[in-house]
Amino acid sequence: MSGEAIGARRARARTAVLQMLIVLLIVGTPLAMTRFYEFDSPLWRALMGHRRVDPETLHLQGEFVENNLGTAREADGSYTLRMIAQQYMFVPHCVRIPAGVPVHLRLTSADGAHALTIVGLDFLLKAAPTSVTQATLRIAHAGVFPMPCAEFCGPGHLAMNARLEVVPAERFQNLQPTDRVNCAVP
Amino acid sequence: MQSCSRVLLLTCFSVLLIAPLMLPGCSPTPSSPRAIGQPPARAPSFVAWKSETVLEASHGDALRGLLLAKRCDHCHGSEGFSANANIPNLAGMERLAFWKEMEDFASGKRNSEVMSSIAAPLTRQDSADLAAYYSMLPTAADPLDRQAFPQAATPAAQSASAGRLIVLGDVGRGIPPCQACHGPVGFKTGAPSLAAQNADYVLRQLRDFASGARANDINMPMRSIAGLLTEEERQALAGYYGSGLGRLPASAVLPK
Repeated sequence: MSGEAIGARRARARTAVLQMLIVLLIVGTPLAMTRFYEFDSPLWRALMGHRRVDPETLHLQGEFVENNLGTAREADGSYTLRMIAQQYMFVPHCVRIPAGVPVHLRLTSADGAHALTIVGLDFLLKAAPTSVTQATLRIAHAGVFPMPCAEFCGPGHLAMNARLEVVPAERFQNLQPTDRVNCAVP
Repeated sequence: MQSCSRVLLLTCFSVLLIAPLMLPGCSPTPSSPRAIGQPPARAPSFVAWKSETVLEASHGDALRGLLLAKRCDHCHGSEGFSANANIPNLAGMERLAFWKEMEDFASGKRNSEVMSSIAAPLTRQDSADLAAYYSMLPTAADPLDRQAFPQAATPAAQSASAGRLIVLGDVGRGIPPCQACHGPVGFKTGAPSLAAQNADYVLRQLRDFASGARANDINMPMRSIAGLLTEEERQALAGYYGSGLGRLPASAVLPK
């Protein structure tokens, strides 16, 4: 084969690779931008500063064991609210927070992708297995808000609806460091 | 030409890598929850559905299970249908659900005077074998056998209210539809099929979940749901499943 033919073949191969890369870029960039929270690789976690949360053992270890869920008071006067999203419930399914105080909502998923929204507020927090998503809430007025799931998660998705009770800060119970509060029934 | 494509290639990769980091919503989540003040963990169950556990629980030997099941016949019936409506039917039980309950009985995470002492000496393999056997039994009972299932049908109004909960759940209260996890529409890992379950048993479990007497559901879905249901709804649901309607698509009983 002549050198010219080899050169032409290389050029074709290069064009093909380049085209594939461009397709990958066009498809991959929006995927990476919208689904980044579902990626789970050691490199990604190192980049994002995430620690892996094992969705199968949430009930055995870590911060999402069942008696650590709900609202907790931090030393600096802020509050942390931990919830699990799972098919087809948010747990605890009724949570209570004080009004006008920053509340750090920490959320993880025990199975697939979910998203917690608060009706009446401009708020959406995605939940994905293996990672914790966090957002800070500061709700000025007391009230009761439904918190439906906004990511289709299966046949029970429509009924996946938790309840948020915001009570005036002065009426919110005084929490000890080990106290966790929610308004779920049992 | 070559250097040009290399530059392009590098640009592609770096854009792919960096793009998500540029987004405002993607700032790294603070990942160190302080352990200070965290109460000691209370585990509802020691079973965790890791892939190796699922494999272990679902690959039992049904023939060995058949031999082991001889000692269960007295209460649970020779074909998996018990004569007493208070005792669960095991015919057609989901393997993973069966295995988990046996583990929970053995570890004391689910309380039962009878079952704790029976399950304690069984190995994990024994439970998997039994699960394999019972999951193979048909959910249609032999009419000549002595059995409690199916029980008398509940009034139409009651089964319609149960049917609504089973198909749609209750969006306002946040009660998911039963059939999304307990079949026939969907199954969640470790959730039992309720196609052929006794009414009294289902009702007792719902009450125990609501009161917290039974607390071995991982991440507490059943404790939450049973607590949200009213007593009438618990009875309607139990009657619905006990009368054998759970084998049909629930829309069959919904008013047109």
